[in-house]
Amino acid sequence: MNSKELGKKSILTKLGGQKFIVLLVVIVLFAFFAVASPDFRKYTTVLSILDYSYYIVLMAIGVTFPLITAGVDLSIGTGLICYSLAGGYLVVQCGWPVGLGMLVSVLFGIAIGALNGVLISIMELPPFLATLCTCMITRGLGSICSKSFGISWPAASAPGGWFRSIFKVTLGNTKYPLGFLWILLIVAAMAFVLNHTRIGRYTIAIGSNKEAAVLSGINVKFYHIMAYVISGFFAGLASIAYSAVFATVQPGTGAGFELEAIGGAIIGGVSATGGAGSIEGALIGVFVICLLKTGLPFVGLQANWQQIITGLVLIGAVLVDIIKKRREAK
Amino acid sequence: MGEVILTMNDIDKSFPGVHALDHVHFDVNRGEVHALMGENGAGKSTLMKVLTGIYTKDSGSIIYEGKEVEFHNAREAQDAGVVIVHQELNMVGHLTVAQNIFIGREFKKGIMIDDKKMNEEAKKLFERLNIDIDPTATMSDLTVGKQQMCEIAKAISHEAKVIVFDEPSAALTEAEIQELFKIIRDLREQNLGIVYISHRMDEIKVITDRVTVMRDGGYVGTLITNECTKDDIINMMVGRVIYEEPKTKSMVAPDAPVVLKVSHLNAGKMVQDVSFELRKGEILGFSGLMGAGRTETARAIFGADPKESGEIFVNGQKVEINTPEDAVKAGIGYLSEDRKRYGVVVQKTVAENSTLATMDRYVKGIFINKKAEHEITQKYVDSLATKTPSVDQLVVNLSGGNQQKVVIAKWLVRDCEILIFDEPTRGIDVGAKNEIYKLMNKLAAEGKSIIMISSEMTEILRMSDRIVVMCEGKVTGELGIEEVTQEKIMNLATRDIQ
Amino acid sequence: MKKKVLSTLLTAALAASLLAGCGETAAPAADTASSDAGAATEEAAPADTSSDAGSGEAYHFEIIVKSYQSSYWQAAVKGIEAEAEAKGVTVNCTGPNAESDIADQVNMLNSAINNAPDGIGLAACDQSACLDALQAAMDAGIPVVCFDSGCPDAPAGSVVSTVATDNYSAGATAAENLYPALKDKLGNGQVRVGEINQEATSESIINRGLGFIDKFAELAKADGYTVAVIGNEKYVNDTKAETVAEADADIVIEVGVPAQTTVELCATEAAAIMNKADTIGMFGSNQVAAEGILTANENLSVLGDKILAAGFDAGSVIKAAIKDGTLFGAVTQSPLAMGITTIDVLCDAADGKSVSDVPTDGYWYNADNMDADDIAPNLYD
Repeated sequence: MNSKELGKKSILTKLGGQKFIVLLVVIVLFAFFAVASPDFRKYTTVLSILDYSYYIVLMAIGVTFPLITAGVDLSIGTGLICYSLAGGYLVVQCGWPVGLGMLVSVLFGIAIGALNGVLISIMELPPFLATLCTCMITRGLGSICSKSFGISWPAASAPGGWFRSIFKVTLGNTKYPLGFLWILLIVAAMAFVLNHTRIGRYTIAIGSNKEAAVLSGINVKFYHIMAYVISGFFAGLASIAYSAVFATVQPGTGAGFELEAIGGAIIGGVSATGGAGSIEGALIGVFVICLLKTGLPFVGLQANWQQIITGLVLIGAVLVDIIKKRREAK
Repeated sequence: MGEVILTMNDIDKSFPGVHALDHVHFDVNRGEVHALMGENGAGKSTLMKVLTGIYTKDSGSIIYEGKEVEFHNAREAQDAGVVIVHQELNMVGHLTVAQNIFIGREFKKGIMIDDKKMNEEAKKLFERLNIDIDPTATMSDLTVGKQQMCEIAKAISHEAKVIVFDEPSAALTEAEIQELFKIIRDLREQNLGIVYISHRMDEIKVITDRVTVMRDGGYVGTLITNECTKDDIINMMVGRVIYEEPKTKSMVAPDAPVVLKVSHLNAGKMVQDVSFELRKGEILGFSGLMGAGRTETARAIFGADPKESGEIFVNGQKVEINTPEDAVKAGIGYLSEDRKRYGVVVQKTVAENSTLATMDRYVKGIFINKKAEHEITQKYVDSLATKTPSVDQLVVNLSGGNQQKVVIAKWLVRDCEILIFDEPTRGIDVGAKNEIYKLMNKLAAEGKSIIMISSEMTEILRMSDRIVVMCEGKVTGELGIEEVTQEKIMNLATRDIQ
Repeated sequence: MKKKVLSTLLTAALAASLLAGCGETAAPAADTASSDAGAATEEAAPADTSSDAGSGEAYHFEIIVKSYQSSYWQAAVKGIEAEAEAKGVTVNCTGPNAESDIADQVNMLNSAINNAPDGIGLAACDQSACLDALQAAMDAGIPVVCFDSGCPDAPAGSVVSTVATDNYSAGATAAENLYPALKDKLGNGQVRVGEINQEATSESIINRGLGFIDKFAELAKADGYTVAVIGNEKYVNDTKAETVAEADADIVIEVGVPAQTTVELCATEAAAIMNKADTIGMFGSNQVAAEGILTANENLSVLGDKILAAGFDAGSVIKAAIKDGTLFGAVTQSPLAMGITTIDVLCDAADGKSVSDVPTDGYWYNADNMDADDIAPNLYD
């Protein structure tokens, strides 16, 4: 066995490694778009980018936990739509108060998350397979819950529309992205959970060396399930963010959201093979994707190019992750 | 040596198709180091897993500190003070040293984990054991030896009263082994009961007080280390004396041609200006401490690692080796020291593994000629006496020694003329070891040329015709088997260490 | 072992459902539940009461809508089911999840043909993808009636009737109503009018988009202004308008088409155009596109004075926007009537009578006339 030298940390690693690079990328991208398109520079553009990012960021925060356990949660995209349709149906068609509808959305997310957790942790299905199946299930469930209708949660001016102002408030003539404040708080809270509480610690342990965790007497089955419950919970929160920003929620959509969330998390430094990652990194990584999505039309690139470029950026991020591992192993 | 702290009485355990433990008896006293020995598959690990609650026994009793106990999981055993330091280190690479030591029992301030306190406690622990490790270092950055120290510290921190060491010295350098022994002696002074599972006879002799031998799931007997010989132990383990004397004379004909010549090979710090020759029918032993650069040299020759400069001649002809494919074409085969990672495809069968390096012979178009595969595999299973129910058995189900034989078969099928064996008998029981030695001698007699890298002195002395000694990347000397002594080898192997 | 069996079963189920459609698809959307109390609050009276109480035979028809994405289709299906019940025939309604799930729909069409129904009703997502299936239907002797979106390139005789709004003139209607409102802003330097089309593959969307562009350009030319058309290639290439280079034009019509037919992608496209300082008008050629424009406006707040926007179809969001003035107006189709007529035509075709195309009407509505008796019934939720 080769003896390893004690890791010599490069400057980049000391500065937080990949997160730092990605933050630079975000700044560079923003600068590029701002220079290339005067319309991009407006405050309203920043508002748009933020608005359209909330649901992806929330999904990314949640899915970071399964990713760190070397698993994945593919059900968050269609799940998001399903939870929104379910809650929305109760509000719009059954007259429930909006607050209760939101609660239903989140609880639904937790329930599916628990289902994922049981399938993966107790029945030992591969995460990819299990969450792909719940993805398809939630897709159909969403349609059933809303009886195939699209649902429009109450508009801002309607009674019940107060929930939209969780994410955006209008003071005087300007709109303020209040949602971003919540996002920052949530990121700080979840980063704390990941780094300084047992749930986070054991999530990392499971992803790094599950055997060792089991032998250390940790209730691995429980914490493994919790990782997916967290992911489901945040998918529920994300569904509220989505309902609050977009006019109508349509059944049958949502497939593909999870890729943006997972891609964002990986770009931000979550290791594709488990054991490492950060919540702040996921936030920054998602912003790369949102910037590309919103900014490319401003420089005239058709929609298909956004997806190609986003895919290339994602490949780049995974390559960086793998090359970093190879260097460390030498 | 104090009174009995642990007694395992009449332990019986069966798995489907296997009677793993057959009314085994084992006891440990306070303040003793008690070796547990046996061939692979004898049941040592199973017995310890029953003790620490990972397996449930079918019958029998365990008396600990005078009371009958039954641990249902590792946690319960730990809490009671019975801890195993496993062979495969159970460390969470992505967490720090302190986080690993206290994993599962973190100090908390409300819901927040108190990492600061954990670091302090870890530091105290290391001071007690006289180990120099930084508790905030990331576990995967440490050497294997240091990781094991952490594992030991973790065991101590459980206020352990009984510690089981499972093959602790396998991955350590000589220096680290001495440190380990010091710690073990300290623990013995503190009246702990220590179980020491190992294959290494010389270590047993040095550090243990008693030796218990198991064979095929059954208890054979217990000896007092000072009062028995190696042969006594071997006898109990395999039921017959098989240990042979070291080689005294080179088996190589004086006019044998040079089949492999390595000239000024450089590949980083671990391979510096290495030159040597290998003659036909020779077994060339490569000795040295762990980390001397022997494996790195072999990998550079085999093309598995890039080299900076140097030339390789096979049968007098210069060959360009940049990838293992080139090496295999030149007739060189390499058995790596880490079987599971580099040698076998564990989820595949014996037959599939054996023909892995020679697939083109068993392939017609896009079809694999399974029948031919089976025939050739069976031939080698027979000649190597590989213990496997059939050639379609998954390699993962075989014991370590038999897995090794599958790897050897792979290269034999390839008709490699030059074979590099890297720690060929590591983790293999004595009976299988012997068969590998016989095989190597047979191959040499047939005209194959073998380079054998080994850290076991007795193995080097027993098998080699000539010995090359390396130290920190350089060749420090060459000795013929007639003139060699253990001291001479050790001298050359430690020349640069102050 | 149990794990392996379970995994194999799940994998087989996965593979089977994947075979039912490629891409990120799953099982087809469930059959629509029969209309119940949870439906739209505005009931539309059936426009056509000339159907017989029973046409003599209990036919079975397979109906494939474009998708279940917008309430437009729910209204159409309601009309279909109501008329089917009235005529004593049975229908099976299916449709893909999204209007961009073209492959899904073709598979459903093929399944429908295999069920050997007495007739098929189809609203094609991509008419060129359906051509082979239409040939197969004709060979099997099954009459096909296209509704909402036609298949002009279909093999001769395979589609016996097309029941659709004249999408081209519907698009033109929007232009006719929007242009006069924008006239005062013309002539002071280059201005921009944006058009958002959810895709460039279905006949209805393409024709509405082109209809708007051509009519707008025609009106502009009559007043002496020059027009340039930029953006998505399909619309740029197929427009009949006389165009000049972008730099020389008085009016630039910019066409945005997202990669998928979803509201958030339409919103992104719309935002890019609405952000530009010289944009004075917007047109969204269906419910999804119009809602995308409204979503983009959430942050920009330019609709109503700086930019006038026209939409298409109805739905509660669009209706509310028109009521409060955010949307200048919209063109609605009559999905309910379309559904009813489709069943009538299918029955006639199954009876062996000769049938022909039935164009349905598209109406312009805005805050002033949306409650009028002839308009309101078509404005579904």
